[in-house]
Amino acid sequence: MLNVETLNLPNWADARAFVPELVMFGAFLAALLGDIIAKRRPWVPFAIVLFGAVTALSYAVAGLDIQAPAKILGDMVVVDGMSSFFRMLFALTAVVTVLFSWKSEEIMGPGREHKGEFYALIALMTGGMMVMAESTDLIMLYLSMELVSLTSYVMAGWMRGSLRSTEASLKYMIFGAMSSGIMLFGLSLIFGLTGSMTFEGIRAALSAGTVDPLALLTVTVLVLAGLGYKIAMVPFHFWAPDVYEGSPTPVAAFFSVGPKAAGFALMIRFFYTTLQPVVDQFDWPLMIAVLSVITMTVGNLSAVRQTNVKRILAYSSIAHVGYLLMAFLMLTEQGLQAILFYLFVYTLMNLGAFLFVTAVNNSLKSEHLADYAGLGFRSPWASVMMMIFLFSLTGVPPFAGFIGKFYLFAEVMRREWYWLAIVGVLNSVVSLYYYMKIARALYFDKAPEGAGAVPVPALQIFAMALLAVPTLLLGVMWGPLKGVADRAVAVIAGL
Amino acid sequence: MESITGLLTKIFGDGMSPMALLISGGLTMALIMSLVMAMCAIVFTWMERKVAGFLQSRYGPMRVGGFHGVLQPVADMLKILGKEDIIPDEADKALFMLSPFVIFIGSLMAWAAIPFAPGFIASNLDLGLFYIFAVSSAAPAGILMAGWASNNKWALYGAARGAAQMVSYEIPLALAAIPVVMATGSLNMNAIVDAQGGGVLNWYIVHDPFLFLAFCLYFIASIAEVNRGPFDMPETESELVAGYHTEYTGMRFAFFFLAEYANLFLVSCIATAVFLGGWHPIAGPVFLPGLVFLIKAVILVFLQMLVRWTLPRLRVDQLMHTCWKVMVPLTLLCVLGSGIWMMVSGELL
Amino acid sequence: MAADLVFYGFALLTVLAGCFVVFSRNVVHAGFALMFTLLGVAGLYAMLGADFLAVTQTVVYIGGILILVLFAVMMTRVPSQNAPRRGLDRMVPAGIFAVAIFALLYKVATGTSWPTATPGEALPTAKLIGVKLMTDAIFPFEFASLVLLVAMIGAAILIRERKVLPAEAPAEEAATEAPADEPEVTA
Repeated sequence: MLNVETLNLPNWADARAFVPELVMFGAFLAALLGDIIAKRRPWVPFAIVLFGAVTALSYAVAGLDIQAPAKILGDMVVVDGMSSFFRMLFALTAVVTVLFSWKSEEIMGPGREHKGEFYALIALMTGGMMVMAESTDLIMLYLSMELVSLTSYVMAGWMRGSLRSTEASLKYMIFGAMSSGIMLFGLSLIFGLTGSMTFEGIRAALSAGTVDPLALLTVTVLVLAGLGYKIAMVPFHFWAPDVYEGSPTPVAAFFSVGPKAAGFALMIRFFYTTLQPVVDQFDWPLMIAVLSVITMTVGNLSAVRQTNVKRILAYSSIAHVGYLLMAFLMLTEQGLQAILFYLFVYTLMNLGAFLFVTAVNNSLKSEHLADYAGLGFRSPWASVMMMIFLFSLTGVPPFAGFIGKFYLFAEVMRREWYWLAIVGVLNSVVSLYYYMKIARALYFDKAPEGAGAVPVPALQIFAMALLAVPTLLLGVMWGPLKGVADRAVAVIAGL
Repeated sequence: MESITGLLTKIFGDGMSPMALLISGGLTMALIMSLVMAMCAIVFTWMERKVAGFLQSRYGPMRVGGFHGVLQPVADMLKILGKEDIIPDEADKALFMLSPFVIFIGSLMAWAAIPFAPGFIASNLDLGLFYIFAVSSAAPAGILMAGWASNNKWALYGAARGAAQMVSYEIPLALAAIPVVMATGSLNMNAIVDAQGGGVLNWYIVHDPFLFLAFCLYFIASIAEVNRGPFDMPETESELVAGYHTEYTGMRFAFFFLAEYANLFLVSCIATAVFLGGWHPIAGPVFLPGLVFLIKAVILVFLQMLVRWTLPRLRVDQLMHTCWKVMVPLTLLCVLGSGIWMMVSGELL
Repeated sequence: MAADLVFYGFALLTVLAGCFVVFSRNVVHAGFALMFTLLGVAGLYAMLGADFLAVTQTVVYIGGILILVLFAVMMTRVPSQNAPRRGLDRMVPAGIFAVAIFALLYKVATGTSWPTATPGEALPTAKLIGVKLMTDAIFPFEFASLVLLVAMIGAAILIRERKVLPAEAPAEEAATEAPADEPEVTA
């Protein structure tokens, strides 16, 4: 017979450290039930999820000054500075996306169905991304990735009856199933090689140095297939443009920042913990460096030729993954700080740019660059904010994107990877071209005759301002955010 | 299997190696089980026709074999053996020929863990009950194979219905048995039966109200699982000719037939072992355990026949509604309820 | 010795049926061959003393997933003009790639030392797994229920019949995206 006292059961201390996730999962269930009880009035789930996300955000911000990493729930997840940082990031993304979806025709327009479930799934996905950023165990790594992926497949196909949306969902799912299958094979090899499921156990086993470098290379490549897919790293990026284009725009906005940041968090946890000791046996940072160069180059060069704004932004988000990977392979604390800082700024500006597309899509019904002609005068406030996001994405001072890129490149230079930095700078120059193409359409191209104003609802202006103001402010006063990122990296488990 | 190997040792002496003993014992057991399956078909077809006749105020078979047509099934069997084995031209031949055996073997494998009497069990598996549900879950694949290979729309409809129905009803079927597993603390069939010894009050069916509900749900789900009325959508003769075995004749048809009646008896045997105390009599010491077990199982088969000839057929959507919206929640309630019951009555841990 | 034979039997069943799944041109045949692959894997689990895993493999994969796969391949039909091409131009690169992957994995499997355990007496695992799932691994266990829940909700949302009238459907999508010769995607 079992003795309950000796069993390793979760307790209240675990639950207290896990509040933001519990709030998000609770909001998911409450929104589902609320939707049914309130007889499908969508404001009920909207309010529940918004309240949940704001609560989670405040808990996450309060958790930023965490003193020591805590392993909870049977050592499956870890709560440390980095998880607090990502919790804040995801909760913020959820708040903005929820606010913005409320006035989006693609979600809430006449004839659209399942409006309540949409908010519920956003809550669930946010919770899943938080768990992704905290996983320290192969089981949780896989399960949390699957939760986020499955939710994404459903949300990508949200516009039923639209072929593009169905295509997006199907492509996303096939790519996702394939890459998570490959990753699972890699994970099973890791378990076979090390006999451990936890990242730290794997690290300890690999530190012994008995594992053949070829096996390590194989495992790394296989695992990268899964994680690289999540962050849309070349060559696992093919899904991204089609999925962003086909999905409802608020969903694409969410995809381009949320799962990507979560994938980065998971990559940092996995690679920094498990594979750091074997750097001298097998030079995986070099492999990542090559992938980083390919990623940013492919992303930028493909974006140049696009005429659909959503596709431009999709390729630009691929390029940004390349910049982030540069700092990722430095394996230093400063590199991590730069990544966290950049991810935060990237979330603000990329989300903002996508939200602009959502906002004008309501009355324009198009995402083509040609139809954006003269929008700067037809929808002045939204366009001004779009310009802020575009400049920031390019990395021009005095916007937040510049500071973010500065930290990334500074770290690359400090570690004397000069060729990598040069490629990165050249790529930034290329990116200027297509960001400015959007800007030119907004302000310098003539609007067609008789084109009226493009109204943007006040709620959406507010949500965009929520992103644009920090993008501006962080460009001149980046100290506080940098401090937060530094503290998050200071209290980090298992490095 | 112990009784069989014991018998073999008695006959052939101690000279047999353990491996040979294992193989010969296993083969003997397989043979016995095949015979049981064949007997099921023979006995139950006769019984079914008699029950149907009784319920419809007629006699049923009366001529062959003197007393109430007892040899009618034998005559039927001879007739079926003599039929031509027809394989339709447009059929997917390999699958067409394979499917009766897939279904038959799936059914036969499940018999390995049925405890007829103390020691008389082909394989005393630790996971007995789970194993039975697992191997019988392969049956829908065989049905789909038959329906697809026939290249006949009725057969395909029947197969699709049958597979959907069986996949759905497996869930309440297995969930209904979970409270018993919780009460016993084991999935081993012998352990489950042993825990019910000592009179009718120890049988799991009267253990607590939730287990009684679980038994009722198990009984309903088992009718659906073996595709019999009122859940016989896969072979509705008024709509689908004969469902997934429309195109089968002769021996191949006989295999479907065997498997069907064997499954009928199988689910009743599981219910007997799990809910009705297995070989334990109503009161008193264990006496002729095999016979007690068989009587209980046959009574359950009789009940299933009564239900079949009494109730009208459901519609397909009603069938799915019953499964997913009524039976599954109720079985989950049973699991929860009997868990609480056991905790309150102090049986847990 | 006998155990080795049984192992090779199951391994052969798995590999041969797997090859049939890959190489068969008839999707339905491939689906049915998958049943034998899964059965072989279940047998291998049983050989390794993982009896609970073996039975679970049977009930989940053969009883559930395989049936759904079969339903899917039976109810859908690839249009003949969209049938995959099978020329040498596809076979040769694919073959080279497959051989290269096999060589790599063979090298990995043989080139490194794997921590192994000597098989002891096969013990019942069900109870152990149950206790683990309810204690150490309770978080992944509960988390998996969320994963399954979202899969269920997603399937219901994406598949359910639409209640919207055609007049209400957004006109621009119907006009620009559905070419005239293609069937409507909505039910």
